[in-house]
Amino acid sequence: MVQSALSRPGQRERYDSKIGQIDWVFVALLIMLAGIGALIQYSVGGMSWEPWAYTQLRNFALFLAMALILAVVDLRFWLWMAYPAYAVSLILLVLVELIGDTRMGAQRWLEFGPVSFQPSEFMKLAIVLALARFYHERRPEDANWSWWLLVPALMIAVPSGLVMHQPDLGTAMLILLTGGGVMILAGLNWKAIAAAAAGAVASIPLAFFFVLHEYQRNRILTFLNPEGDPSGDGYHILQSKIAMGSGGLLGKGLGLGSQSQLNFLPEKHTDFIMAAVCEELGLVGGAMVLLLSGLIIIMALRMAALSHSHFGRLAASGAIATYACYVLINGAMVMGLFPVVGIPMPLVSYGGSVMLTVMAGFGLILGVKVHRYQELPKQSSMLANLME
Amino acid sequence: MAEMSIVFNDINKSQGVFTRRAFLMGGLVAFGLFALGGRLAQLQILQGGKYTKMSAGNQFNFRVIPPPRGDILDRNGKMIAGNRPSFRVMIETNEVKDINSTLDQVSYILPQTVAMRRRILRDINQNKRSVPTLIAGDLSWEDFSKVSLYAADIPGVVADMDQLRAYYHGGAFSHVVGYVSKINATDMKIEEIKPDADINLLHHPSFRMGKQGIEKSYDNILRGTAGGSKMEVDAGGKVVGEDGDGSIPPKPGTDVTLTLDLDIQNRAMEAFGTDSGSAVMMNIHTGEVICMVSAPSFDPNLFVSGIPTKAYRLLADYERKPLLDKSVGSTFAPGSTFKMATALAILDAGIDPEEQVFCRGGYQSGNRFFRCHGVHGSVNMRNAHKFSCDTYFYAMCNRAGVDRIAKFSRKLGLGQAFEGFEIAGQKKGLIPDEQWKREWFNGSSRARHLDPKWHPGETLSVAIGQGYVNVSPLQLAVYAARIANGMKAVEPHLVRKVGDKVIDHTREYADLGIPKAHLDIVRGGMWAVSNEPGGTGRTNSQLDLGPNIQISGKTGTAQVRGYDKAGTRKAAEWKNKDHGLFVCFGPSDAPKYACAVVVEHGVAGGRFAAPKAREIMRLAMIKDPEIQKRIVGPVSTALDKAALERGEAAGASDMPNEGLPAETPPGD
Repeated sequence: MVQSALSRPGQRERYDSKIGQIDWVFVALLIMLAGIGALIQYSVGGMSWEPWAYTQLRNFALFLAMALILAVVDLRFWLWMAYPAYAVSLILLVLVELIGDTRMGAQRWLEFGPVSFQPSEFMKLAIVLALARFYHERRPEDANWSWWLLVPALMIAVPSGLVMHQPDLGTAMLILLTGGGVMILAGLNWKAIAAAAAGAVASIPLAFFFVLHEYQRNRILTFLNPEGDPSGDGYHILQSKIAMGSGGLLGKGLGLGSQSQLNFLPEKHTDFIMAAVCEELGLVGGAMVLLLSGLIIIMALRMAALSHSHFGRLAASGAIATYACYVLINGAMVMGLFPVVGIPMPLVSYGGSVMLTVMAGFGLILGVKVHRYQELPKQSSMLANLME
Repeated sequence: MAEMSIVFNDINKSQGVFTRRAFLMGGLVAFGLFALGGRLAQLQILQGGKYTKMSAGNQFNFRVIPPPRGDILDRNGKMIAGNRPSFRVMIETNEVKDINSTLDQVSYILPQTVAMRRRILRDINQNKRSVPTLIAGDLSWEDFSKVSLYAADIPGVVADMDQLRAYYHGGAFSHVVGYVSKINATDMKIEEIKPDADINLLHHPSFRMGKQGIEKSYDNILRGTAGGSKMEVDAGGKVVGEDGDGSIPPKPGTDVTLTLDLDIQNRAMEAFGTDSGSAVMMNIHTGEVICMVSAPSFDPNLFVSGIPTKAYRLLADYERKPLLDKSVGSTFAPGSTFKMATALAILDAGIDPEEQVFCRGGYQSGNRFFRCHGVHGSVNMRNAHKFSCDTYFYAMCNRAGVDRIAKFSRKLGLGQAFEGFEIAGQKKGLIPDEQWKREWFNGSSRARHLDPKWHPGETLSVAIGQGYVNVSPLQLAVYAARIANGMKAVEPHLVRKVGDKVIDHTREYADLGIPKAHLDIVRGGMWAVSNEPGGTGRTNSQLDLGPNIQISGKTGTAQVRGYDKAGTRKAAEWKNKDHGLFVCFGPSDAPKYACAVVVEHGVAGGRFAAPKAREIMRLAMIKDPEIQKRIVGPVSTALDKAALERGEAAGASDMPNEGLPAETPPGD
């Protein structure tokens, strides 16, 4: 309908012009962030490419290529696959519940032959797509305040409940926050937001005593009083703070961080990598990671806002909301401002699953920008037709 | 295109909402990131110093190097307590995956009993993971070489050398010097809160604490200051490197030189043989204690690496109490050795020492007949000493009164703890007087049935060192010393030097204010006891060092129970037998040394206590160069010959059998 004056019909569908529309500055930011990550992986691996830095860089290269391919995939494909992807992810989550593999006390993994994966990772993206499609097909008023809101509420509640049961508090929280974020971005009534927030606060004590596991309760208690148990649960937080604090402005230098090199810092290459960054590269390094993350988030939101389709906007902003949650929660956790939940710093922390999820999300965001002029049909579901 | 407009409317509306909210979200995220940046600055800049310190604390560990404990030497610098190398094998818990299988491997080389295994596992659980736990200590050279050979193949097992406290003279010094042992939980709590406490040293597996005697009272001086090697460690406490510049060598403990003489101490221990009791010998001018033994004794080396409970109970439960320091920690009725105090009180009351009392085997006081141990006829004060006639003192004591007797015995050092004495555990004993009895009656329900008033009959018991009178062997030695030195208030001491600092005991002691005439009468009586025919101590007081070197003494036999009606002193059981006591000083003409011997349940002082005192005094005389010169007779010839052989004019020489003259004469 509304076509840019600069483009001829059909030109936008050509892959070469699509590639030209990819936001390469954004891609460069991703590469820089992953570069800092790999550098620290190299350092905490004992100034060696093995065991982490090499694998991390290889994975990043692979997933970046995947993201660039996803960036040129037509938005209609994303729209089409939104519900099926959600359904498959949900089924896999149920399967995890039934036949999942238990590792380190949590039932999170599914194994198919040589491949093992966590379906909860897929759900992070699937929930965004599904909600984006839902709101795409509803009227704006429905997003504000109507009975329709029960549908997205359930769409969020069921998977996050399943993940919570694994138990994986961090991922459940991410799904809940991302889903909630999409609902808010779609235009949820402020009163409803306030009510939900109040309800959440009110349910904290209930959740604390009846839903959380012993170890999760301990982590929260430890967070509230870290000095209470400096050798047990408080150890992680304390050692992380020592690592960061001792780094100072410019850091101890690559490979010279005693906290991370001598294993005082737990999970130094995964969840607590930010502490290693801050120890070895100082405040400058830590602020660099925060700045890059901030730029990525702001650019992604801008790209989302450019989209002509509601689906594109919501999908891209939902995907970046997931990433933002990762960054904020991980940062706060490492700095002792949030209880220890297993949430890594994407692209910087070592690990393939999380990188796959966020890179797929970035692919989607890039794609939304590439296809920003694309109008998407409203395919009302049978249920919707009946109700209207 | 109505539909279009609706679509547009739709789009515009939702786009507007989205854009506003996306802005909001961007703002929120930016705010969050900004807050995190602020937190980073807070941690890294504002609190950076604090965390840098904590990080260094993590990274470096001071591995404690325990200081060698100071030696304890005799007055001539001969080693009494020192440190010896000890070979041991330890398990480094954090290097070991399976503790039990590792211990099994070690047990092929060094067999372990179940009890040992239990002990090792308990210690492993109690220790920090980074602290190695002892598997076996004090290994023989053979075992150590075997373990060293195989330990290399068993990860986490190390064989190395440690220093262990060693006491070189068996039981001779067990009570005075005491012993060290591993610190127990109670002591740990006390030590840990001391302002200068070194927690790391206290918890070190090699750390030992002084538990008795000098080892206890000079613990802080002997202990030294721990050093440390600065180690870089990882989170598991595993050492990854050493920082040589940051290491501090340990400061060894200070040596303590005692006033005791090793040869005399050993001779005294020999003299006691199978008997039980105590001997204390001292210089009467300086108060230096030259010999102080308590028998039977025990081997203090047993306590250093921990004595098994069974062995400990065998010592602790024995009726002859080897663990007790009887020199200061036991009190006995002094019996007749107390009579000099009574005599001085009698003289002080103005009674003529030549006044005679007729002894017909006892004394009638009111309706009670007080027995004497013999029938002595007419005795004056001198002969009352010589024969140890109780009747004389029965008859005279109430003319002096119990308070006067108490006053004089206290002046002479009885019934008190000596403040400057270097080891703990002194018992005061008791010197009764009228006030004491009143207080005792009021204070104790046990004494309710008694009369709070003092009865003259009770003075009779006190006069001969019985009844309520109780004194320790150390007090008796001081008592003899004060009689011998012309009534100077000499105080006993045990430490001669701390490190290189000589402690001066030659100060002028206060005069007790007893007239020399009184003193001469009492000393004359004591000379008669040891040297005149008929004296109760004569047989066993002869030093055989010629006529110049004599001792003056006083025997005592103290009743430990009321005799039965037949009046027999004989008892079948050891613990019912009388105590034998002897106090003496010498040489009689120019006294220098005083000695007190108590043989617990030793039947009779003259027969069983005096010989021990004689041996101790004899050796002291021979070892003293000035006294040595005055010796005539066979010993003198032998001494001269030895001196000639060594090309010395006079003085120091060596007697092979007596372990003789030493670098420092006793008592200078």
